[in-house]
Amino acid sequence: MTIPSQPASRGAPIQVAEEKYSAGVVTDGRGTRVQFRGTISTPNPAVVLNPFVDAVHDELVKAAAKEVLVDFRELEFCNSSGFKAFIHWIQKIQELPEAQRYGLRFLSNPARKWQRTSLLALSCYGVSSVTIQ
Amino acid sequence: MTEAKEQKQPIYLTMRMKPPWVFIDELRRFVESFCACACPECDREAQLALTVHELMQNAVPHSHDEEVELTLEVEPAVDRVAVSISNACTDDEFNALAARVQRMNREPDALQHYLRAMEEAPAHTRGGLGLARIRYEAQLDLSVSRSWGRLTVHAFGKLHVQPLRLPGGIR
Repeated sequence: MTIPSQPASRGAPIQVAEEKYSAGVVTDGRGTRVQFRGTISTPNPAVVLNPFVDAVHDELVKAAAKEVLVDFRELEFCNSSGFKAFIHWIQKIQELPEAQRYGLRFLSNPARKWQRTSLLALSCYGVSSVTIQ
Repeated sequence: MTEAKEQKQPIYLTMRMKPPWVFIDELRRFVESFCACACPECDREAQLALTVHELMQNAVPHSHDEEVELTLEVEPAVDRVAVSISNACTDDEFNALAARVQRMNREPDALQHYLRAMEEAPAHTRGGLGLARIRYEAQLDLSVSRSWGRLTVHAFGKLHVQPLRLPGGIR
């Protein structure tokens, strides 16, 4: 799967950086993935994260991706308001015609124990869209 | 007192504060580390830290610039843990929250309620998911009470719980 880190149509990189957290599309020796870092705990992070998710989603659909890695390994915490961005993402995938749908494969950090239960719940919501690694 | 007996003693923590929003992260980290020390074999610290974080994020914006009080009770001898967070409230605020908790508790399956909250909570504004998240992810029951113009949200349950598993196994 290839997601351009800078979509030509928008002229802006697919990334957001706030004081306590950041999100972006990264490509390195371990492949291409959507990486979330820091602590998502502002009052309404969906205002920042939903447009980011929308941009990533548009690129994935354009690239006819079948799966994308979502890297939580450096995400210390995500509050329930931030969690809505991932619910929003699943909803966007579910709105696609079946042939265009892609999967979210979450890379989690076993030391961040909240991730296990949160991703478990998310995988129950997006039954055919979410896998946990 | 022997070490084994000491480990069975109840442990209480009470904090009263007027915290700006940014301090909630610090509080979550403190609670996680406190609970890891209070009951190291229970593996409950992340769930209790998440509970405190979500309840504080509900309480702080509704505190009318008055103090928010956090009480944490860890009682190994009776296998019980409880988190209570109280803040000043109006009649309308209390009634709205009490009705919400009552609606939530009418659904006996915490996961089903959480999934419905995910479906129904507005995607672009804050709120609507925190209590359901606590109930399912932290495996705690929730209730609300009121005294002297302050509401208290109580999250309580067993200290030792089975890890949550996917219905049908791991995908």
